[in-house]
Amino acid sequence: MASEEEDGPLVGRADLLTQIHSDLRNAGPGGTSAVFVTGESGVGKSRLLRETARAMRDAGFSVLSGTCLDIGDASPLHPVLQALRQSGHSGRAVAADAGDLLDRVSRDLHAVAGEQRLLLVLDDLQWADRSTRQLLLYLLAGLSDVKIAVLAAVRAEALQGAHPLRKVLAELRRLRSVRVVDLAPLDRDQTVELVTAVAGDTVEPEDADRVYKRSGGNPFVAEELARDLRDGRVELSDTLREIFLSRVDELPPNAHAVVHAIAAGVEPTEHAVLARVVPLAEAELIEAVRVAVAHRFVASAEDGYRLRHRLVAEVLAAEVLPAEAAALHRRFAEALEEGDSGPDHARLSHHWQQAGEPARALPSVVAAARSAEALYGFTEAHRYWSSALELTTDEAPERTELLAHAAESAHQCGEHLRALSRLDELALRADAPGGCDLHLRRARYLAAAGRTATAEQEYERALSSPDCSLRQRASAAAYLAELLLHLGRYADANARAQEALEMAEVNGSTADLVRASAALGFSAAFREDPDAGLAVIRHAVEIAERSGHPDELGVAYLHLAELLTGPLNSIEEGVLVARRGAERLASLGAGRTYQTRLLAIAAKGLFRVGQWSEADAVLDDAMRHRPSGADAVELLLSRCQLWVGFGDVDAAHRDLDAVATLLAGGGARHVLPMLTLRAGLAMWQARHAEARAAVQRGLTETRSDDLVLIGVLAWHGLRAEAEAHAAGQPVDPGALRRLKVSVERMAAGVGNAAAPVRATIDGYLDLCAAELSRAEGRHEPDLWARAVQAWDRRRQPYPAAYSRLRQAEAALQRRSRRAAATTALREAYATAIAMGAQPFRNEIVSVAQRHRVALADDVPTVPMPAPSPALDSSDELGMLTLREREVLAAVAEGLTNREIGERLFISERTVGVHVGHIFDKLQVRTRVQASRVYLTAA
Amino acid sequence: MTQSVWGPAQQEMADLLGNHPDDVPGVVEQLRELQAILTRVPPLLGENPLCDFNKLYLTITEGVLERLYAGKFKDPAFLSRLDVEFAARYFDALRAWAGAGSSPRCPQVWTALFTRIPGPDCRPLPSACAGVNAHINFDLPFALVTTFDHLGRDPIDDSDQHHDYLEINEIFAESIPGLRRGYLEKWQLLIDMMNGCLDDWWQGEAIEYTRNVAWRNAQKLWGVRHDMAATDRERTSLDNTAAGVNKLLLSPLGAFLQ
Repeated sequence: MASEEEDGPLVGRADLLTQIHSDLRNAGPGGTSAVFVTGESGVGKSRLLRETARAMRDAGFSVLSGTCLDIGDASPLHPVLQALRQSGHSGRAVAADAGDLLDRVSRDLHAVAGEQRLLLVLDDLQWADRSTRQLLLYLLAGLSDVKIAVLAAVRAEALQGAHPLRKVLAELRRLRSVRVVDLAPLDRDQTVELVTAVAGDTVEPEDADRVYKRSGGNPFVAEELARDLRDGRVELSDTLREIFLSRVDELPPNAHAVVHAIAAGVEPTEHAVLARVVPLAEAELIEAVRVAVAHRFVASAEDGYRLRHRLVAEVLAAEVLPAEAAALHRRFAEALEEGDSGPDHARLSHHWQQAGEPARALPSVVAAARSAEALYGFTEAHRYWSSALELTTDEAPERTELLAHAAESAHQCGEHLRALSRLDELALRADAPGGCDLHLRRARYLAAAGRTATAEQEYERALSSPDCSLRQRASAAAYLAELLLHLGRYADANARAQEALEMAEVNGSTADLVRASAALGFSAAFREDPDAGLAVIRHAVEIAERSGHPDELGVAYLHLAELLTGPLNSIEEGVLVARRGAERLASLGAGRTYQTRLLAIAAKGLFRVGQWSEADAVLDDAMRHRPSGADAVELLLSRCQLWVGFGDVDAAHRDLDAVATLLAGGGARHVLPMLTLRAGLAMWQARHAEARAAVQRGLTETRSDDLVLIGVLAWHGLRAEAEAHAAGQPVDPGALRRLKVSVERMAAGVGNAAAPVRATIDGYLDLCAAELSRAEGRHEPDLWARAVQAWDRRRQPYPAAYSRLRQAEAALQRRSRRAAATTALREAYATAIAMGAQPFRNEIVSVAQRHRVALADDVPTVPMPAPSPALDSSDELGMLTLREREVLAAVAEGLTNREIGERLFISERTVGVHVGHIFDKLQVRTRVQASRVYLTAA
Repeated sequence: MTQSVWGPAQQEMADLLGNHPDDVPGVVEQLRELQAILTRVPPLLGENPLCDFNKLYLTITEGVLERLYAGKFKDPAFLSRLDVEFAARYFDALRAWAGAGSSPRCPQVWTALFTRIPGPDCRPLPSACAGVNAHINFDLPFALVTTFDHLGRDPIDDSDQHHDYLEINEIFAESIPGLRRGYLEKWQLLIDMMNGCLDDWWQGEAIEYTRNVAWRNAQKLWGVRHDMAATDRERTSLDNTAAGVNKLLLSPLGAFLQ
């Protein structure tokens, strides 16, 4: 009784199917691919999914299929967990945090796939819950080990308005590995072909034409109308509704009941459940199902029954009397409660609510809320708590507790407005929590909503409310100090933190103590009393060490590392602290998120001090913790910064694509760093227009108070214009004017910045001034000399070396101070070599050759006639990046990964990654084979 | 389905709408190219009502871009996203337009304007207003919801985002009087000199009023955005209301506006 065999002919989709197969097979740089099929109901999306799934399975893919539910309150990750359960894999997820959950699910997916590539098919994606959408982005960004292809269908109707998928698809369709296919209705000829295929060649042309007009080319409707033609039924009705209703009416009563029952159920409806819902004897029921299947209303599969098309359910829903519907839902709910498969709270609550039995629905709604929270599906949990509130009246005693949950879950899923209004309602209850508790919670919600002024007032109110316990007071003061710090009111923050620390030492929890210490430490550092601040935070680390609690340790180490690498600019020590903190947590086997964040700080610090190979190794380590969400974005951006520096264009593009995939789900604050990297990468490739566009877009999205971000961006923009000028291409006067305005804005605002921030901004101002002189054809060595000094003082070798290069170039162009210029160029060269900054090195070499400066013994002083290997793409090695060729050359010499790493200043692990890519690209499996390809080509 | 609603500009239109701009400069560029194409749609060419709206919209979006570059907004990331989301809905409506009676996915409110592209001719000002009505009363609330959802923030009164959103009223106020003067014919000049200020004020008020309504509607939609059935109902009702206004604007009665 498998439904697939009863599918009608597939018309007009052959080319599309081939296209989809090849899109899915061609994984993008991240090893993933996706096709989203959109189209109206009945246009044949599900059919296309089935056909593709079958073909891909034959092509050696492992296939998992799931369907999203339209009951509004599906449980988190429903379609994926359902698909896993069906394939006999766990599908019961228990995890330590939201990131861990994604990791566990992807491990299950990995287990299903084994060595094969995995195709995940998701139908009705418009009903997917937020957690499922996040999982999808996580998988497509290549953050799991699963080599996954995703094929999903979305109803076009749902994408109108403000559906969250709209934005996601708009962002994803820009990626090379994602295709959004809009499935159009059939045209006239195709419809006639379909009609003939179903009803035979004897169909009159005008009849076929009428089918086209009535169906509008919708294959589902056209096929049904064609069947009528074949069976000699005269169809007078014009609307979809009438077409199907007349057909339902022809069913015998028992089959009629079965169709109505399945339409009311949550698909798939298991036979055992159906048997309890439809009061028929076993034999009669089976007969009735058989008839419903024969009349093409119902499809039967291993896991239960479904309507052949949800369109039918929608038509039927409008026809059933409310009392009938309620009775059906009640029977479903009772049947599910009697069932022995363990309670499915989401389904139960759906049926009880539809049955109009709020009191009976409440327990399952609450249970569903709790299990959603266990899966970190806070959005879903919030929806359940909200429906629980709708099911209770003001008199109900449990309402107070429900309100508290609803407020907290709203806060956790970012619905701050809702959280605040729930809290207001909670405050009105007779048995409401105490005033201090309410003020504290309101303050937290307000701060999260960005309403800092009101949040501050609420903390003050909490502190002054009479029922405030000593512990609460310590906590409120610590939070308030943290808030003031974020607002940049360092003196106030300092005073408040002092107070909080005193209270917390006597009565507070370790968490409050750590929070207060951090606020005190940072405010002291920003007030130019760094030693005092450092001492306090070191003390906080000691306290956390004594408590041994992973969260407290994580927070304390994070604060110390951030203070050192940030305002204090003691990067080496900060890196050390961050790595030690990560090791400490690893030894406890806990605090995975903190380990990731600590390693991210270490990697950023290492990048700044020019230890790029070490940064690479640390990032490798951090990525192995399988980060997700914002943490993953941060790490990918840091890694991409390295690829841009190393000149590994492919890897940089891969990580930028992964970042864009994750940002499709939200995350505006990471857009600017992404644009900056895009501009930096485009510049090394001499694509000035691309670099310019990225910077100009960034300028429209920067807040005027983000001075450091503006600094980096403006420098990139001016550099792009200068590079264009140097390459003999026109400078964009509009872009230049806007960049100057940004620099002026920066210069005007720098006085208000805290001292440590000021030093960084000044460095960028120097770079901008010098770069502007280059773009305007003046190229003044003195301006570059200033930039050299500024970055030497900040002890950041990369911008310092870059400034040295330009200083030397400017001097050489003016034919002045050649000896000093030569020294500067050689210093810059040494730095570039030590960091492994390939494109930067090339730039130095080309400047040196232009002016016939000898950089080192092994660098020719004039350009060699041989073309640079990266430009030569005719041979087999053409698809390798510059870096990969270097690695391959070393492999061919017979060096081990460790030896290669030492030679190229990269970690052993990175060498392994490069070797993997080389094998993939050359389609070889061993080092010997790879060496042979290299030696033949060379 | 393959019927050509854009005449000789059909292919160019399809190619242009194949782009999905993702930043404000990109939106301005797309509107500018669209303007060039629209003036070639027969039989009214540059006189067609969509041209009138597109021209106004281009002017306004250029104003937004200038202010973004000048750092006039409190939350530029929000405003950039909003501008892109807002424009995307206009481009979507154009993409869905395949002629009267065969564009099930084109909102009613846009259909009312698009059906008038081949004529009969209507006055430029009511045409531009009909476009503004469709865009603000129907598209804007959804664009707001998508933007807030994406940024992970709520639509809160008196927030930075609300401030920026209201700032756009200024741009409308600046754009409309200038645009009007461009349309004046000689005999209207007299009337305009007599009550021009009053008229401009009325225009400005109308947009400010509808734009605040859009903010309120967005807040309402925000509350039900996870409930797809409720969102659908809201969408249909907004579409119907706005479409009603458009039919009025484009009727002979609308000519009184001019």
